[in-house]
Parts: sequence; structure tokens; C-alpha cells
Amino acid sequence: MDKEKFEIAMMEYLTDTLNEDERRGFEEFLQANPEHREQFETLEQTWNGLGEGKVPEPSEAMDGRFFEMLHGEIEKVEKSKGNSRDWLATFVEILWKPQMAYGILLLVLGVGLGYYLNSESESERFVKTTVVENGETEAVREKLVLTLLDQPSANKRLQGINEANKIAKVDEKVINALLQTLNNDANVNVRLAAIESLTNYLDEPLVREGLVQSIVKQDSPIVQVTLANLMVALQEKRSIEPFKKLMRSKELDASVKKKLETSIASII
Amino acid sequence: MQQLTDNALMLKVKSGEFDKLGLLYERHKKRLFGFFYNMNNNAAISEDLVQNVFVRMLKYRYTFTGEGSYSAWMFKTARNVNYDYYRKNKNENRHSDLDSVEYKLYDDKDLNSIMDQNDSVSLLNRAMQKLPLEKREILILSKYKEIKFSEIGEMLGCSEGAAKVKAHRALNDLRSIFLQLENS
Repeated sequence: MDKEKFEIAMMEYLTDTLNEDERRGFEEFLQANPEHREQFETLEQTWNGLGEGKVPEPSEAMDGRFFEMLHGEIEKVEKSKGNSRDWLATFVEILWKPQMAYGILLLVLGVGLGYYLNSESESERFVKTTVVENGETEAVREKLVLTLLDQPSANKRLQGINEANKIAKVDEKVINALLQTLNNDANVNVRLAAIESLTNYLDEPLVREGLVQSIVKQDSPIVQVTLANLMVALQEKRSIEPFKKLMRSKELDASVKKKLETSIASII
Repeated sequence: MQQLTDNALMLKVKSGEFDKLGLLYERHKKRLFGFFYNMNNNAAISEDLVQNVFVRMLKYRYTFTGEGSYSAWMFKTARNVNYDYYRKNKNENRHSDLDSVEYKLYDDKDLNSIMDQNDSVSLLNRAMQKLPLEKREILILSKYKEIKFSEIGEMLGCSEGAAKVKAHRALNDLRSIFLQLENS
């Protein structure tokens, strides 16, 4: 038996892993080889002494820590399992509370009643709301125009005229406000804007009348020329008289006078 | 429940029945504690390491296939826990050795007063502590009857025969250290 084989056989013998025959075979080998037997005996002594040393008992605290850890782990797993179902359970639980159930019942009844009373067709309702909305917007815009035209700032009054241009169908109030602006506003630009705005409503007799009457009230050459051009375009014969009256005034600019003359000539 | 084998219990733990780990703990806590105590001779550290083994077994329960023995798997884990501990506490090892020496002196004093026979046992213990970690480990493992050499070989990454030879040489070294201590 070589050294390694002997070492292996010895360990098998010591750990009691040999079968009956092998065991007897090893013992016979030792009997026949005193040298190996001596080696075996010393090591057997050491082997038997191994583990004889006093090992203290583990403390109860170790058990405590272990079971604390284990419970912690079990709870963690149960929590993660429960989490997915938790929100649904809570929701159902809330629903089962009587106050909540009555509340939901009332809400459903209310919504049902609302639908029943409001059972007009979709298109009817759309037309109604649009008309109402448009009407409301126009009214608000008119008020806005009147307010803006009263503002001391020329800029605001220009803004008011712009707003007036957006109104599809103006009423007398707005027209009068615009005409008043045309006759009395201190700012030339505002007066020109008022003329431009009023040209949107030339079908209204009130607007034509106002424009004609405003001719004599203007002192700014550019406004006078603008009105002259407008009257030519309109072929407004009623404007001849006010123009002639204007031409008689001494302050009238020479070039405007010429312009008025040609205008009167083209209207006739 | 006592009828269930360790393997069956561990498979139940694997499938989510964590409470079964409690039974395995009760069955093996002393042996595991003994393993660590023989390795480091420190009761407090050994208790911590036993706890670490069960935490790790729970964490890596999916690696338990039930093919080998539960004990082999458990000691494989214990071995890893022990190596991690030594690696982390390399600097403190000297300090821990001192602790165990103090503990031993206290032990010796007690034992000497009782009987002389224990001298050789405590001497063997001291010799064991002087043995390199790997050799100490293979001797402790081969002392456990339920762990086969084939499994020790698997743990150490060698053949069954090589494991037996290693165990024999470790025993030889232990004997030499024991004789040195006896003569000094």
C-alpha cells in the first residue's frame, strides 16, 4: 500500500466509512506492518481527542435573534403578497360604509335626473349655446367699446374703435359714440380711425348723416381730405353744401381747398 | 413534522414556507455553533455567524436543489460565512486571538483544578487554533458523520480522494503542533 492509499484508507477507517470487509482488511494490514500501525495509533489518538474540547452551549439570546429575524422575513413576504390586493380591499371596504353608500346613491339619482331633464338633442343645444354666447359677447364688447372711447388715453380710444370693428351688427349707441369721437376727439389719429370704423356701416342712414354733418366740424386738413375722398366714393350729394361752407372759412389750408374743389366737381 | 427530512424542510422553505426554517434551526444550531466555535474559539462571534448562516440560506434558498444532503449545503454556506468574517476582520484577528487566549487561560485554570486529563484536551484545542484555517476546517468537517468526503471535496473544489489525503495531512500537522506544545 503506497503512502497516499494508506492515508486515504486511514481516514476512511477513522471516519467509519469502510464496509466490514474493508475494515478487516485494513486492520490486517496494520497487524502486518508495525511501522504503519504506530503511525496510525498516534493519529487515532489525536483524532479521538478532536472535538472532545468543551464547546459552550449557545445562549438563548441567539434563539431570540434568530426568531426575530425569521418573523421579520415572514412579515416582509406577507406584506409584499398583500400589497397588490390591499388597495382593492380598502376601496371595497370604504364603499360598504353606509354613509358612503347613501352618498353614492344620491349622486347617481341626481345625475339620472339631470340627464332626464336635459334630454334635448345635441344640435339644438349647440345652436342655443352659440347664439347665447355670441349675444353675450356682443353685449360685453359694446360696453367695452363705450368704456374705451371715454378713456383719456388716445391709445385706449383707438383700442375702443378696434373693438367696435369686431362687432358684426352695431346698435345706435355705438354709432353715436363713434360719431361723437369723430366730431370731438382731440387726437387726429383717433378721428381718422373713427371714420374708418364708420365706413363699415355705410348702409345705416344714421352713419351717412353723421359723416356729412361732421364735415364742417373738422379743422384738421387730413381729416377733411379723408372725408372728401369718402364723400366722392359715396357720391354723397348732401355733402356738397357742408364742403362749400368749409371752403368759405379763412383758416382752410390752400391745398385742402383745391382738393375740396375737385371733390365737389367729381360728386356733381 | 419531525418525520420530515432536512431536505424536505429546506425545499418547503424554498417554496415560501419560511417558518420551516425554524425547525431546521432547532435541529442544527448546536452543530453550527460548534463548527464556528472550533474555528474561532469565540462564543459571541460564533452566535453571530450562526445567525448569518440562516440569513444567507434564506436569501439563497433558490440555490438549494435537494439533490445533495442538506448538511453539506448548510456547511458550505457556513464555510462562506466564516471566510467572509475572516476577510472583513483581518485586522481585528489578532485582537480576537488575544480574547480567545484570555478565555482559554480562564478555562485552563478551571479545568486544571478539576482534573489533569483535560490538559491534553486543552492542549489539542490550542494546537487546533494554531493550525491554518483550511486545515482546521477540513478536520472539523470530516468529524461530522453526516458529511461525506465526496461533499467535502465538492466544497473544497477537489476530488473525494484528495479531500481524504488533505484531512489526513491536516491531522498529521495537528499532531505535530500538539507534540510541540506538549514539549514546550
